[in-house]
Amino acid sequence: MTKSTTGWGWLGQAISGVVLVGLLGLHWVAQHYLAAGGMRTYAGVVAYLGNPLVVLLEMAFLVAVTYHALMGMRAILLDLGPSERITRLLDIALILAGIATVLYGIDLLRAILGGVK
Amino acid sequence: MSQDSGQIERRSRWFELRFKPVGMLAFMLHRLSGIGLVFYLFLHLAVLSRLRGGPASWDSFLALVRSSLFLILDGILLLGALLHGLNGLRLTLIGLNIGLRWQKASFWAILGLALLLTLWGTARLFFY
Repeated sequence: MTKSTTGWGWLGQAISGVVLVGLLGLHWVAQHYLAAGGMRTYAGVVAYLGNPLVVLLEMAFLVAVTYHALMGMRAILLDLGPSERITRLLDIALILAGIATVLYGIDLLRAILGGVK
Repeated sequence: MSQDSGQIERRSRWFELRFKPVGMLAFMLHRLSGIGLVFYLFLHLAVLSRLRGGPASWDSFLALVRSSLFLILDGILLLGALLHGLNGLRLTLIGLNIGLRWQKASFWAILGLALLLTLWGTARLFFY
């Protein structure tokens, strides 16, 4: 057992995990089950993102899934028993990767929504 | 040298499913599906940048992912996500000291549910 699979790390994974079950369920229903043909066309994506609530949910989804994925990788890597120094470097790398991923998503949303005007 | 072969032996035992306690099987499936889902997440985010190319770029991509090969891959993804999500809910409840007595039965239950939902979901993908 490592720090990230007990205590606060565990709680963070549990909370973000439960949130993700809900958001992924919603994503599957809205983007694949209800969308005609199982996937939205470009026009369909733009129309869907025209709803501000959808944009908010997509952003929440991105933040939750990025956090959960990177913290999950951290738990697995810490089980390999790295030194304190490597752990610190890993944490910095994961934080930067998380920020970059969320910024990438925001920029993509901005590009798609900007194309409408 | 002998240390190396010992490590390789330990690694190969990791993939040995027989005589494993149920909890170990659940742990392995959770980690393997988790690693797979992380790869899928970043692949998915990268692929979404095709939306920058407008309708021509995105709609031609849709034709590709509606092919049978991609629908089979979607089925594998569905199984991995269902196993990880359902087992994650199970782990959360166990961690909160709920249903500790049924931790073995609940693993077989979520395994069965994940397989059933994967069959249903994959069939729907093919016969849309």
